Parts: sequence; structure tokens; C-alpha cells
Amino acid sequence: MKQETLSVAAVAFILALLVTIQLRVVNQPPAEIMPATRAHELTVELQRLEEAAASLRQEAKDLQQKLLTATQGYAQAEAALKTEIEKNKIQAGLVPMEGPGVEVIVSDKPAEGPPEMKRYLFTVRDEDILRIVNELWGAGAEAIAINGQRLVSMSEIRVAGTFINVNLNRITPPYVITAIGDPDVLQGTLEMEGGVAETLRKWGINFVVEKKERVEVPAYEGPMAFRYAKPIKEGAEE
Amino acid sequence: MMWLGVWMVLVGLTLGVVIGLNVPLVIPQVYGKYLGIAILAATDSVFGGIRAGMEESFDNAIFLSGFVANTLLAAGLVFIGDRLGVELYTAAVVAFGVRLFQNLAAIRRKLIKK
Repeated sequence: MKQETLSVAAVAFILALLVTIQLRVVNQPPAEIMPATRAHELTVELQRLEEAAASLRQEAKDLQQKLLTATQGYAQAEAALKTEIEKNKIQAGLVPMEGPGVEVIVSDKPAEGPPEMKRYLFTVRDEDILRIVNELWGAGAEAIAINGQRLVSMSEIRVAGTFINVNLNRITPPYVITAIGDPDVLQGTLEMEGGVAETLRKWGINFVVEKKERVEVPAYEGPMAFRYAKPIKEGAEE
Repeated sequence: MMWLGVWMVLVGLTLGVVIGLNVPLVIPQVYGKYLGIAILAATDSVFGGIRAGMEESFDNAIFLSGFVANTLLAAGLVFIGDRLGVELYTAAVVAFGVRLFQNLAAIRRKLIKK
């Protein structure tokens, strides 16, 4: 009987102890503990953020790729533009050129008569130079220079006093006309029967045509201003 | 003799409450679940003991072993269930709850029949 009483008391003690502790646990202020739901929420949030970070990283990679492609495109466009500009400069005569061609040397014959005669009969005139140049263009010359003056679309060859001006520069005899093109064709055109060479020689002018493996034609260095001319826009009606 | 038993029970309860309120150790709320199911099992054992006492078939050894074993097993099984991902908590609550109410019902009948 005594033993039973003791065991009942012990059980009562343990039960009371457990209940009290449990009450304290249940009544714990929520700040001290981390509810399982909160932990779960945080885990989900972390996962979501990690996914977002991964997708953003992917996006950054894509954008970098695009940027790279764009930069490459830019470089290509720049290269194309440079090529185009170079081509245009060559066509405008702003680039020194070299190649096979002919060198024509035209000079007055040493004077034999009175100086007046020489001046009016046996000197090389602007028209003679023009004719030679015209023949050369006609024979397919691609670049021509007279005494180092490159002929371009605006070049003039005209008499100014007792001298000849090319590109507003005074040139003096002997006149050296350099032309790039097929040497045989160029020479043939000039030396043709009844051609320029024959005519000029008849007039008593020294006329030498030399075929050359390689001649150099300098670039045009004068001004090239368009003050009046304006390009017509395509499709625009007057 | 009966009064001594009552006194002993009251002394045990009081002592338990006082000590329980003063222990510095605080169990994390996560484990409160296991303590709760242990208390349910213990309560069931206590009511089982009271019923046995009324039926004059009280056995001290059975009472004590039942109390200890039920308490520990209930908490232990729920703990294992949680580790395995099985909601044994619900099963334990239902099982001990049903037994508790059966014991209560038996005690009520005995009291009325007296």
C-alpha cells in the first residue's frame, strides 16, 4: 500500500512537471523561436531568389553576346565605309597611283629662227597638250599627270600669258605627261599614222613616247570646292 | 490511508508545478510536440490507473510500467514518424484520445453505479 501511494505520487509529480514545462514551451514568446513555417518560407524565398539570379546571369550572358555581335557589325560597317571612301578617293584622283603606262615628253625644238617665229610657230601650245591628253583618255588611260599635276575632273589646261596652267599651277617645258594604262594601246594611239605625234613632229616639236613597266602618278592636291553645284536628290522633282 | 494517498498526490503535483516553473531549461517549440504527446499518454495512463483502482484491479507494476512506457513510446514513435515523414502524431493523438475517453467513460459509470 505504501509503495502504491509512492508510485502514484511520483506519477503525479512527473505529470505535473511535464504539463508545466509544456505550458512554458507553448507560451514561449514567438520571437525566441523560429516557426517551421517561417523557415519554410525563407527556404522558398531563397530558392526563388537563386532562380532569379540564375536567370539574370543567363540574361546578362545573352546581352553580352548581343553586344559583341553588335560591335562586330559596327566594325564591319566601319571597314566597309573605309573601303568605300578609299574607292571614292581613287576615283576622284586623290590617291597617288602606279602601274604600267607611258611617259610622253614634249618639248620645243631648239630655236633656229628669230625668237618671234619660235614663239608662235614651234612652241608647244595648250591645245597640243589637250589633244595628247584627250587621245590618252580615249585610249583608256586611267590616270594622267602633267609635270606632276594630276588631271582630275576639274583640271584645266590653258594658256596663261606665255605659260600653260594646269590645276592653276604654271608648268614649264619640257612637258612630261605620265599616263597609266595599257602601254601598247597608249603608245599606238599617239603614234598612229596622221595622229598627234606625227602632226606635232611635223610642226617641229620634240615628241617622245616611252613605254614603261611602272610609272607613278601623284595625287591631286589642289582645292575641290563645290560652291554652286549641289547633288540632286534621287526621286526629287524639279 | 486514503487521505495519505490524496495528500501524496497533491504534494507531488505541487512539487512538479513548482519545479517545472523554475527549471532554467527551455525546450524548443519544435520538441513541444513530442512533450505534448507524452503528456497525453501519461494522462491516459493516470486515468487507466484510476479506473483500475475503482475496479479493484490496480497493479502497481502495470501502472508504473504503463505510465513510463506509454509516455516514452508515444513521444518516440511520433519522433520517428517525423523523421520518416509519416504523420504518426495524428495516429498517437487519436489512439490515446480514444483510450482516454474510454477510461473516462468507465470511471463515470463506476461513479454512477456506486
